[in-house]
Amino acid sequence: MQIGEEKQGGALVIAPVGRVDSVSSNELEKVVLSRIDGGERRLVLDLAGVEYISSAGLRVLLIAAKRLKAPPAALVLCGIGPGVRTVLKLAGFLPLFAVEAGREQALARVAGS
Amino acid sequence: MPGTDAGIRTVLDALEAFAAGHGLSKAVTWPVEVSLDEVLANVVRHGLLGRGEAATVEVELRLDLDPEPPVCEVVVTDDGPEFDPLAVPEPDTSLGIEDRPIGGLGIALVRRLMDETEYERREGKNRLRLRRRLVAMEG
Repeated sequence: MQIGEEKQGGALVIAPVGRVDSVSSNELEKVVLSRIDGGERRLVLDLAGVEYISSAGLRVLLIAAKRLKAPPAALVLCGIGPGVRTVLKLAGFLPLFAVEAGREQALARVAGS
Repeated sequence: MPGTDAGIRTVLDALEAFAAGHGLSKAVTWPVEVSLDEVLANVVRHGLLGRGEAATVEVELRLDLDPEPPVCEVVVTDDGPEFDPLAVPEPDTSLGIEDRPIGGLGIALVRRLMDETEYERREGKNRLRLRRRLVAMEG
């Protein structure tokens, strides 16, 4: 897995690419938590490059959501393919997250929080 | 494989190469990959009690290309203490963010992604068999 990062306005886009599995999710957790600890409050997680996500990756999403739950902090997910969507749905995660189709919409949503 | 993260990575790489080598797309193989990751993570992190390199986990991958769609079967055997992951209670996936425990979703996902799951304790080993018809899965 590789992790892309891009600062756009007041938001940070984090884009993991590859498998988000029980091994690689540790890297994603480190990056996401260190950015939140570093003061990032508006986060977009762009999952367009994710081949699949297992529960270890869901754990990272949940931790980030818990940390960014109070406005003006916000977490928005985007770029969700069919497989990732299925896993989010089976885990009952879809209702818990703000989800947008693409990165632009996600940035607009996160900026309005 | 050894009971380590490196072992998990090796097996997931092997599954990916095995499936791709038979012309199967990610669209149909990802549920097996996710499930194998869940099962191996459980075994390595909990079942083997940190024995790591000293522990051995056997993974058998079988692909039956004759039926349409093809069928994939995975058998994971470990020599840890007796533990039936399928006996773990289902997590409540209707809870909100506040109340969601961090973790505990892995085996629930495996159950929901696979067509068949079967556990048995045999000759001092845990044996978990997973089976799925390789069709695309839409939410």
